[in-house]
Amino acid sequence: MLLELSEIFKWVTTGGNRTYLLKGINIEVQEGEFISLMGPSGSGKSTLLNVIGMLDHFDEGVYHFLDEPVQNLKEKHRIELYKKYIGFVFQSYHLMDDLTVYENIEMPLLYQKYSSSERKALVADMLDRFNIVGKKNLFPTQLSGGQQQLVGIARALISKPKLILADEPTGNLNSKQSEEIMQLFKKLNEEDGVTIIQATHSEANASYGSRTIHLLDGRMVKG
Amino acid sequence: MIKHNLLLFFRNIKKYKTTFFINLIGLSSGLTCVLLIALWVVDELEVDTFHENTVYQIWNKFETPEGTRVMTWTPPVLPDAMLAQLPEVIYATAQTLPEWYKNTPLRVNGKTTKASGIFAQKDYFTIFSYPLIEGSKNQVLTDINTIVISESLAKKLFGSPEAAIGKAIEWDLMKTQATHQVSGVFKDIPSNSTTQFDYVLPFEAWKNAIIHSGGEINWVSNNPATYIVLKEGTDAKEFASKIEGFSKLQNEDVTADLVMTKYSSNYLYGNFKNGKQVAGRMDYVYLFSVIALFILIIACINFMNLSTANASRRLKEIGVKKALGSSRKTLILQYFSESILTSFIALLVACILTIIMIPTFNDITGKSLSFELDLVKTGLVLSIVLLTGVLAGSYPALHLSRFNPVSILKDQLKSSWSELWIRKGLVIFQFSLSIVLIIAVLLVSLQVQYVQSKSLGLDKDNVIYFGEEGRLKQHKKAFLEEARKIPEIVNIATTSQNIIGADINMTAGMVWSGDQEERRSRFNELRIGHDFIETMGMVLKEGRAFSKKITTDSTSIIFNEKAIKMMGLDTPIGHTVRYGDIDYTIIGVLEDFHFKSLREEVNPMFFRLENKKRSSELVARIAKGKEEIALTKLAKAYSQFNPGYSFDYTFLDSDFQAQYVAEQQVNKLSKYFAGLAIVISCLGLFGLATFTMERRRKEIGIRKTLGQGKTQITLLLSSEFVKLVGIAILIGLPISFMLSQNWLSGFAYKIDIKLWHFLSAGVITMGIALITVITQTITASNKNPIEALQQE
Ligand SMILES: Nc1ncnc2c1ncn2[C@@H]1O[C@H](COP(=O)(O)OP(=O)(O)O)[C@@H](O)[C@H]1O
Ligand SMILES: [Mg+2]
Repeated sequence: MLLELSEIFKWVTTGGNRTYLLKGINIEVQEGEFISLMGPSGSGKSTLLNVIGMLDHFDEGVYHFLDEPVQNLKEKHRIELYKKYIGFVFQSYHLMDDLTVYENIEMPLLYQKYSSSERKALVADMLDRFNIVGKKNLFPTQLSGGQQQLVGIARALISKPKLILADEPTGNLNSKQSEEIMQLFKKLNEEDGVTIIQATHSEANASYGSRTIHLLDGRMVKG
Repeated sequence: MIKHNLLLFFRNIKKYKTTFFINLIGLSSGLTCVLLIALWVVDELEVDTFHENTVYQIWNKFETPEGTRVMTWTPPVLPDAMLAQLPEVIYATAQTLPEWYKNTPLRVNGKTTKASGIFAQKDYFTIFSYPLIEGSKNQVLTDINTIVISESLAKKLFGSPEAAIGKAIEWDLMKTQATHQVSGVFKDIPSNSTTQFDYVLPFEAWKNAIIHSGGEINWVSNNPATYIVLKEGTDAKEFASKIEGFSKLQNEDVTADLVMTKYSSNYLYGNFKNGKQVAGRMDYVYLFSVIALFILIIACINFMNLSTANASRRLKEIGVKKALGSSRKTLILQYFSESILTSFIALLVACILTIIMIPTFNDITGKSLSFELDLVKTGLVLSIVLLTGVLAGSYPALHLSRFNPVSILKDQLKSSWSELWIRKGLVIFQFSLSIVLIIAVLLVSLQVQYVQSKSLGLDKDNVIYFGEEGRLKQHKKAFLEEARKIPEIVNIATTSQNIIGADINMTAGMVWSGDQEERRSRFNELRIGHDFIETMGMVLKEGRAFSKKITTDSTSIIFNEKAIKMMGLDTPIGHTVRYGDIDYTIIGVLEDFHFKSLREEVNPMFFRLENKKRSSELVARIAKGKEEIALTKLAKAYSQFNPGYSFDYTFLDSDFQAQYVAEQQVNKLSKYFAGLAIVISCLGLFGLATFTMERRRKEIGIRKTLGQGKTQITLLLSSEFVKLVGIAILIGLPISFMLSQNWLSGFAYKIDIKLWHFLSAGVITMGIALITVITQTITASNKNPIEALQQE
């Protein structure tokens, strides 16, 4: 099993009132799954993804990632864990405007132990695979949205993670571009065995996945 | 990773050029300033410190009705007595003061050269580390017929130091002429020595000359300075208190106590107050160190403020990096290295600027500094730069790197109150400092102007004075007559002493009323020739000056106003006073004139006609615009009496200016520094305004779509900064008021501090700040609102 969430609660306190963002989430994810998180805006999809990706903390419950109890880990250890196993894809790409395509993709490797020749090889591989070799020296603002998201995905994949967390990866793209991205995810999932959890609004996107989890007001509901 | 961070660093610079250049200009000019001041301070601190021995100077301390006076002049017999009776003293020497025999004639083979000389005892070159090129330090002054000369004098007179040894030089001082053999040659005295001289004669020769000219060598004739070296391990403080009454024990007529100071500290702590050494030039060393520190702080604040602002712009970068697995430590390291790198670039620029500016700086300060970094200085500079970098980088490195990446990426981070206040507080602090500096500059320059334009009670322009040398002594009358024939010479006269700068002879014992008990009141005394008062352009308040036609004037006396006031005489003219067993009739009262620096009160003073044939100085007033021809003719007349002598004269005005050298230097320098401070502060304000406008772009866009006018928006945006500068002015004014009062209290004659001084400084500061901010706000309010809104 890749990860397991049981009875996860997350809340914020404002003026003495608790507002729940996540209420009793229970999920088991096996390696190789492709899961879609659905729900209206504000239902807690991003919050849940951030908790899974260890970018955000939760207040109650137990979370095991590869049998490690996340809630008990020290920050340093947690960073090690997600550096190694998790890649993020964001709706608004979050590429560094001041770095070229090549440098953006290379970035995650800088936080791990790779020699410069290894890095070169890995990035070249990735550029090849995504067919963006010709664009490697451009800056993000010189690319279309779809191309930017491709770079975002390439960056997420560069350190060979087991799990890709994608938060509305196609939210800013037109339908043709969306389809391409979804095809890519499917391919990654089927051919490379990468586990994917994506948050999405669209039924069409969700259909690419093997399983759909519905959220409403921070609670899991039956589809 | 490093390459990556460097890339981000340089691309950031490219993207936010203004911020970077503001940072760079501000920081490098601040550092330049600090470097220059540091060079100056180190040089000041090193004056007279090159002597290997710890040399102590012994001073005479007198109690007078006007307070305690400490004087260089000590008994000529003191050094030998100390050496003989005090086991702690291993070396002692008397030394005549360098200003006594300045530009005095030396004759070699009938050719006269002028040079400055001192007399000193045999251990002089052992006590002081003036290295000898020829001769050995414990022998050069043992024989009474020797003379030790400087390297350049040796070259001038004999071609080389080796050639000088054994050669004869004839000197002519105090009515004594003698021929001495060169026994040694010393390296030219370095410029960081306060004692400057070209030749040294044995002190025994001086004693003989004094006795020959009718003087005495004993415990109450006070003339030369005394320097000693103590045995190693002697407690100087204890020793100083032990010898306080030393002279009094030797002779019952002695009234002076002895005071001991370190020779090397005299330069910086040259002023005495109540018999104790207090700061003199050290005040300026402190002043400039503080200014340097202020400027560095102001520059650092800019740097900090702008790096913080810049870091907030780069929040996304932090968020992405953290989401991609960068640890906090990596981020902290990155930001610190960026700010340190920036400071080093600034240092590089600063070093270049310093090298370019050193000549100008030397001109202003009258120093000969060079930019040579030794190990200590390099270390100091590097640590300053490192500290600057660390300070500036600390906020983004420590504060911003702490945030949760999710909230950063969601743009949930608002500048916290404390952050805003710190930033505003820094601007307030900066401008408070600037206003203090501006007011300081204003007052210093007003005071210097005041000093220079104040009616001195005499006309110092176009007056020269020169010594009475050679045969002039015997033929004074004839020379004066000859000089009076020159049409370009308005007036010429003799005086016992030059009146500006030098210590005028002080005397007591004046009796002006029958029931007077106090006879110790001290007066300055000047014995003058006819026409002196006219030559100097002094103003008579009552009565008349001395006249050649009135023979009784040999027992006439003229006082200054101050003296009349002190004596309390209502109708002074015709009043009789008794001095030295002679009755003098007061014939005139002079308006007070300033013969000392305006730091000091005018003393009571009187004038008598010189009636003995004592040596004197000559003063001449030259017709305006005829200086050159007058001086040529005078030199010709002079050489008729003194063939082979060169005619050396000094303008009174330059002596007068010399009293204010320090003030004038401070005046010029502080102008530069204050200008720099305000420029750096404005750069900071400019940067901050740019940043604020950028952040409020959306707000400005919304306001414009809602129909608010440009002027309104400009006003709204500017008012925020105006408030900050206003607060800074309110803080800066009282501080500068206190500081300026403190500084001015050192002058007996000074400008009144007026309200407008402060108001105008405030208005100037506000004006400059406004211009800086409004240029930014106008650009911001001119932007197309749709563009701004779309970008969000
Ligand atoms: N830090 C927070 N403080 C308060 N409310 C939050 C915070 N983060 C998210 N929320 C709220 O939680 C709810 C879920 O947000 P989110 O997970 O972003 O929803 P989704 O991604 O499904 O649109 C929203 O109503 C949002 O306003
Ligand atoms: Mg969301």
